[in-house]
Amino acid sequence: MSDYSQPPARVLIAKSSLDGHWRGVAVVSRALREAGFEVILGGMLRPSEIAGVAAAEDVDLVGINVGGRVEVVERALDEMESVGVGDIPVFVGGTVPPQGISRLTSRGVEVFPPGSSLGSIVNAARRLTGRDSAVGDGS
Amino acid sequence: MCLLETLPLPVVKVSEKPDEPIASSTLMIEQQSETTSGIPLKLLYGPDDVPSGITEALGMPPGRAPYLRGAYPRMYRDRAWRIFQLSGYGNPEDMNERLKFLLFEAGETGIIIKHDRMTDDHLYDVDHPEIVERREDVGLTGTVTVGLRDYETILSDLPLESIYAKPGGGVPQSAVYTLPSYWSVASRRGIPLEKLAGTGQSDFFLTYLGCPTKEQIPPEAAIRFNLDLIEWCSERMPRWVPVSIAGYNAADSGLSAHQELGAVMANAVQYLDMIAARGTVDVERLAHRIGGVNFRVSMEVFEDAAKLRAARKMWSDLLGQRYGITNEKARQMRIHVVTAGSAMTYQEPLNNIVRGTLMALFSVLGGTQSLGVSGYDEAMSIPSDHAHLMSIRIQQILQNEINLREVADPLGGSYYVESLTGELEMRGWEFFEQIQSRGGFLAVLDDGFLLECAEENNQRIVAGMETGERAIVGVNTHTIDDPIFEVEAFEGRSGAQTWEMAMERLSDLRRTRHRRGAMESLHHLREVCLDESVNAIPAFMEAVMADASIGEIGDVLRETFGDWQAPISV
Repeated sequence: MSDYSQPPARVLIAKSSLDGHWRGVAVVSRALREAGFEVILGGMLRPSEIAGVAAAEDVDLVGINVGGRVEVVERALDEMESVGVGDIPVFVGGTVPPQGISRLTSRGVEVFPPGSSLGSIVNAARRLTGRDSAVGDGS
Repeated sequence: MCLLETLPLPVVKVSEKPDEPIASSTLMIEQQSETTSGIPLKLLYGPDDVPSGITEALGMPPGRAPYLRGAYPRMYRDRAWRIFQLSGYGNPEDMNERLKFLLFEAGETGIIIKHDRMTDDHLYDVDHPEIVERREDVGLTGTVTVGLRDYETILSDLPLESIYAKPGGGVPQSAVYTLPSYWSVASRRGIPLEKLAGTGQSDFFLTYLGCPTKEQIPPEAAIRFNLDLIEWCSERMPRWVPVSIAGYNAADSGLSAHQELGAVMANAVQYLDMIAARGTVDVERLAHRIGGVNFRVSMEVFEDAAKLRAARKMWSDLLGQRYGITNEKARQMRIHVVTAGSAMTYQEPLNNIVRGTLMALFSVLGGTQSLGVSGYDEAMSIPSDHAHLMSIRIQQILQNEINLREVADPLGGSYYVESLTGELEMRGWEFFEQIQSRGGFLAVLDDGFLLECAEENNQRIVAGMETGERAIVGVNTHTIDDPIFEVEAFEGRSGAQTWEMAMERLSDLRRTRHRRGAMESLHHLREVCLDESVNAIPAFMEAVMADASIGEIGDVLRETFGDWQAPISV
């Protein structure tokens, strides 16, 4: 569980596409909360809104549910850089086109396509927010 | 692993029959075996497992109430099920090309036009700020239209008088734009509306449960439009199913099999009671019109085939017992099945051809009238042309190569299947009563009850995948590190090209249309929307014919009805 010496990490979970399928977001958000994270649910946010909320809420990690092309995710990364929060780590899940994965990983984004285990997602969130301290199980 | 500690584990049910002793040595196995919806599974079924109501219904042949054994007397010997696949992407020209390929080359027997969800479900113009920042996604989930002219393009060279069509309009607020657009194209070609055959959808489970849109009219306004569509079609379109309840969307959002059944029945009751209150359409006639229902068949194939059989019986019983309809024809449910998109894996996508085949087979064993098989690339994109063709080929192989069309209700009389059918019927009615006691169908969409049920199930399913109890080949069992065959996501046109072309068509439309006529039609539409005593469909027809854009029509709805707040915060 979480490292008691630090406050819970804050994670923004948002959908970059205009597609309200909430199943994946609900499942991931719940797993993160149960692992001790503070989750801010952003809903369907435009790229500029993702950057705006990430900055305003001072989050430690941004999780984006993707329902389309990687260009829209890249725009969110650009927007984050332009408002000065480009250093916040980003991970994404959803129907990411396989051929687009390398474009995202090359910008430091971790990608969790459908079928990824919740354990691997939670572990990544711990690692990306520096909450993986002693017990990391390496999976 | 902390997930094991924190995620809820499946609720275990043990058989409640007191006369059924369970040996302690087999208790573990008994406890762990259940269907996805939670029906306990036994090693072996016998005559005692078939409820008496089912035994009685088994005595009636297909084509007779309560239709347990099939909707039509000669089932597939008279007519094979309709191959009815979702299709659509890109611009209207792309859509038209795809439809021609499917109809004239691939051998599909009906068309479904899939629209771009960003613009169509939301009724946004392509220059709406919500769209502009996501412009590369336009056209990815379906074809993008700016107004009626685009429907002319989509439908060019297609024989509208002889095809069966679902022109789109899965979502209530977009159906009143989409269906009038399709009908208007036919009208302009001189085809009388009464000749058109097809179906609407205007389903509540999609955007009021599974994937709420950013902005959307409240369910009360949506159901008013649905009733308007029902009235309009009853008066002048005898071959058109005005609205179609889509259990699929309930199920793929997370409702379990019996919950899907109960919610579909509650939805029907909502329509029937409200139309009875209007007094404009005879309930018996209406019952037949809304008797085209869509269900999901998932990898829980036996349960879902049983579900289709239970659905027909429940529908027939509902109409007979609650509404006193004695005419058997009016109590007949016709089923369209879509195989579960959620069953299609991102990993090793070609395995999904096998999954699609299994789900398709059991849909037919359950007696479906039409069928759409999810593309093998479902988890990554809308179907590529190859994935689409495979979905058709699966169905053609089933229709031609395995003698599947000869015998009606091949599962009928199986102790196991009949037990499942009876169990689903019983549990389905329990869920129906739960909905009714909470105020009915619209109430449980609004108060979040259905969402909670769906979420609870989803958590349970995911927990099962996490522990490996729910095995999925290539995903959490029998995995390999380096895929030996890769599939790319279908993306249609590159980058923002679809959006740029749609922007051009929109500015063209605004520049070249008769502006005053368009504005007047929108003004009239606004008045009609405010007056519930008027059927709104003619005003929508007028607006699309006057070249009002999709976004302008959406603006009228948003201004008039406001925005529904989904009872979920994601």
